[in-house]
Amino acid sequence: MQPLYFVKTMIKYQHTKLNNGLEVISNRDSTSRLVAVNILYKVGARNEDPNCTGLAHLFEHLMFRGTHNVPDFDTPIQMACGENNAFTNNDYTDFYITLPKDNIETALWLESDRMCGLNLSEQACDIEKRVVIEEFRQRYLNQPYGDLNMLLRQMVYTSHPYRWATIGLKPEHIADAPLESIRKFYNDFYHPSNAILSVSGDIDAERVFELADKWFGGIPDKPYNIPTIPVEPKQTEARRMEVERDVPATTIVIAFHMGNRLSKDFFLGDITSDLLAGGDSARLYEHLIKGKKLFTSVNAYISGDVDEGMFVFTGQLLPTTSEQEAEAAFWEEMELLSNGEIGDYELEKVKNKFEANTLFGELNVMNKAMNLGYYSMIGDLPLINREIEIYRSLSKTEIADFARRTFQKENSSTLIYRAK
Amino acid sequence: MTQPPLTIPDSIDIQQAEKIVASNGTPIYVINCPEYEVVRLSFVFHAGTITQARPFVASATANMLAEGSANLTAQQIAEGLDYYGSYFDINIDRDYSYISFCSLSKFFVSTAKIAEEVILRPTFPENELAIYCAKRKQQLAIERRKVETIARENFAKAIFGEKHPYGISYPESEYDTLTSDDVKTHYRNHYIAQNCIVVCSGNITTEVLECIKSIAASLPTATCQPKIEIPPFSSSHTIRIQHDGAVQSSIRMGRLLFPRSHEEFIPMQVLSMVLGGYFGSRLMQNLREQNGFTYGVFSAMVNFQHTGYLALATQVGTEVTEQALGEIAREIETLRTQLISEEELELVKNIMAGEMMRILDGPFGIADVTTENILCGFDNSHIQHNLERIRRTTPEELLSLAQRYLKPEDIITVVVGDFN
Repeated sequence: MQPLYFVKTMIKYQHTKLNNGLEVISNRDSTSRLVAVNILYKVGARNEDPNCTGLAHLFEHLMFRGTHNVPDFDTPIQMACGENNAFTNNDYTDFYITLPKDNIETALWLESDRMCGLNLSEQACDIEKRVVIEEFRQRYLNQPYGDLNMLLRQMVYTSHPYRWATIGLKPEHIADAPLESIRKFYNDFYHPSNAILSVSGDIDAERVFELADKWFGGIPDKPYNIPTIPVEPKQTEARRMEVERDVPATTIVIAFHMGNRLSKDFFLGDITSDLLAGGDSARLYEHLIKGKKLFTSVNAYISGDVDEGMFVFTGQLLPTTSEQEAEAAFWEEMELLSNGEIGDYELEKVKNKFEANTLFGELNVMNKAMNLGYYSMIGDLPLINREIEIYRSLSKTEIADFARRTFQKENSSTLIYRAK
Repeated sequence: MTQPPLTIPDSIDIQQAEKIVASNGTPIYVINCPEYEVVRLSFVFHAGTITQARPFVASATANMLAEGSANLTAQQIAEGLDYYGSYFDINIDRDYSYISFCSLSKFFVSTAKIAEEVILRPTFPENELAIYCAKRKQQLAIERRKVETIARENFAKAIFGEKHPYGISYPESEYDTLTSDDVKTHYRNHYIAQNCIVVCSGNITTEVLECIKSIAASLPTATCQPKIEIPPFSSSHTIRIQHDGAVQSSIRMGRLLFPRSHEEFIPMQVLSMVLGGYFGSRLMQNLREQNGFTYGVFSAMVNFQHTGYLALATQVGTEVTEQALGEIAREIETLRTQLISEEELELVKNIMAGEMMRILDGPFGIADVTTENILCGFDNSHIQHNLERIRRTTPEELLSLAQRYLKPEDIITVVVGDFN
């Protein structure tokens, strides 16, 4: 089949490192009147003590609590017509601001200020702990299926810190986090050489580097040897967990260990999940919802972590479907892939879709700034412009081989989340 | 280091949409941004839930459009879009249904062939409808386990009246009796030229425009349309609903006011912004930052075709529910008795200007705003008008609005939680 190559995508960027170790990346986008300023800290839930989880995320909240110089972080951004927010995951913590490009220095001023002078008072920590515990309740405890992913992680991982979610293992860990641990966390992880500043907007790279040096150049680095993360031992037998909850429909999840972000298996896993669940014409929807009428919703996805991650199948059962039928149906789908039953048209379709999605994602300065920071964090910035090529190169044989190696009983963890 | 100076945008240039009328009278609005290699085509029909003759038929019609047509199966439609990486998106609210197609410019013609089938020749097969109904029924059952869903549905009943088409909600079991004929009738009555506007944005070449005109011109015209009756609104009082085991209570408050065309809509938007419209708002400062009662609280003016309302929503810890209600009442009372400071008002005005800039950054955002303007009877010069109206708002005007519109006896309160 003649491949339908789309337009050649390329995010042009320039990259430098300040004397204190801060990485700076700049992308010029002349279509926007806004500038996006992203700062990524290479710290996430992976860096937490198993007895004090949820700290990285709590810390993301504390970063908005003001400094000795600027007691209120949000107001100056808002005065500058800007908007800011942040997120934390298992691997990193990301802070982002978009504002009119003439006000870029306001963003740099505030980010440089909170990189070194955060106000970590007892009172600020106490209130923020309560906010985060309410977040824990709202998103995980007071929702149907809210604890599903937590249960899954605890089964799939035995040693690696991916066994807890970013919010933490339990609200008590957040409530009990000692002030000195919180201060040590800031000291250990929030400094120039553990951060990446990325900027996208209608500003040339030289100017971005000059401004980065003006605002961040004077911050002394506090190098710290990040303790090694425990390696997850190879799983050798099938795992299973069954729980009962007050929910309207039973959900089944089957998860497998797969390769890390820089391995070829990452891309093979991603394309396999697209074959299974990328869009309404994908296999799981066609076969299991429309054909066999077993589920009301189905999905297959990769967790996308930096270290060895998960490949996950999930489905919500119709009241008429038995758990055995549902589970067997997933294994049949895996079997089809392992046997190499993949069509040329189908494969071309998911590759096209990947390429189009990448292009749609580049319409916006914030996505670009965030992605530049992310690729630099995983240690392969040029990969941002190579991924489409890698996807294009994946063959049916490689995908079948990936499916055979990954979808093994002894590599599986099955969670039955049963409706009472 | 000291705070850098600010530049505040005092005008927003946005291009007018070019209006073309198809041969059957359907208006087409064109926002040509050739610098972006994408096209989005949206059909907006006056076919929202208030137009439905029986429960769930309006949303079922919109969601079933792509489930089979005279010349293509559901699978062929899904695959035809996925193959080119194109998107199809359905949205429905009380008044309108929005059907959008989004593609890379070079694949627009192929995407339009599918769009034509979806918009003009849907067949609503029984089998697909049965799958859709089973899925939605289960999703709705899950949604209704959440305190925020229960609060939202009861708030609508309380504000508009239990039987009013804006306020009513239906049991999930209504999905059991929905037939393909119901859906076909709804489609025939409402998906017609007189009920439709078309909005397109991105790189609109002559070829693209010809395609769009040809689809729009083929929409059937009806000689008479069913008249939509809007009964008078009847707001009620405070409602409390017991939800056993909830660790948080969901609170919704607000009152019926007026639609966006009303001269006080914009200043009321400013007032709701002060109260709870941004991160540093009074309610956010009080409930989250000072008290840690909640993860978030939000208030806004909401616009419908025939009216508009002010709404405030939050989820708070079960044990602090009464305290939180007391603090909300206190913040509203403060707005009614004290002038807002010039600094705070300036901040809110800048946030609103920044929000407009962000929405209008890129072709799709411009198209969304254009659509909203057209549906309210305005053109895009209204954006500058709104910005100026925001700038002209004074502390005295806000005080007067609060005194007239936020009387405690006029505010409806819905609380869902565990009161035992």
